[in-house]
Amino acid sequence: MRVRVLFFGRLKEIVGRAEETADVEDGADLGSLFHSYARRFPQLAAMERSTVLARNQKIAGRSEGLAEGDEVAFLPPVSGGMKHRAVRTRPNRAGAD
Amino acid sequence: MQYEPVQIVRAPIDVAGLAAGLRRGEDGAVVVFEGVVRSHSGGRPTLYLEYEAYEAMALEQMRAIAREARALWPIDRLAIVHRLGRLEIGETSVAIVVTAAHRAPAFDACRHAIDRVKKGVPIWKREYFADGAVWVEGEVIQP
Repeated sequence: MRVRVLFFGRLKEIVGRAEETADVEDGADLGSLFHSYARRFPQLAAMERSTVLARNQKIAGRSEGLAEGDEVAFLPPVSGGMKHRAVRTRPNRAGAD
Repeated sequence: MQYEPVQIVRAPIDVAGLAAGLRRGEDGAVVVFEGVVRSHSGGRPTLYLEYEAYEAMALEQMRAIAREARALWPIDRLAIVHRLGRLEIGETSVAIVVTAAHRAPAFDACRHAIDRVKKGVPIWKREYFADGAVWVEGEVIQP
């Protein structure tokens, strides 16, 4: 079956696109979808704990099953409250090695 | 009069107009919060910011926050407006307006709403500096 997968923030940069259609096996869940992307993009694996998944615009657990036509979104951390951690994503061109 | 309690916009937010449109005769308090683009971040001068959102979900989360605030405090109206795209220093990225008969619930509801917006709405901020850009990732998004 086919699901639409959306990427935001730093995840969009890692995957290199904002969205794509994924072919998944019947019975697949959000966790298996995440791991299929983590295999393609090793940087994603390191972000497993900080990435929240949404299914059809609602935050959902990794064991939630997928259905044909679902919209799945990979959501990185938001700016949040008072404690911020900045993640460098675009090094200075002049300073890059 | 109908009003739109949550909005995502790309043009500058008219905060004064928003507040004027919400207030009614029975209100004794209007509390306005504006989140504004700072000139520095971690001691470094910021050039500008960019905001992006998962819009459909962000609007739904913002509606839930407004409903929650109205259930928790005796307030009249609550509006949340967030802006996306490139914002310059000093511009308003988010505005929350709460009207109520009395000031205490208006302050409390406004504080609650902005804290929930920052932690639970899928909107991301990227800071641009002279030597590069960073995504600001503070907290794992909360339901």
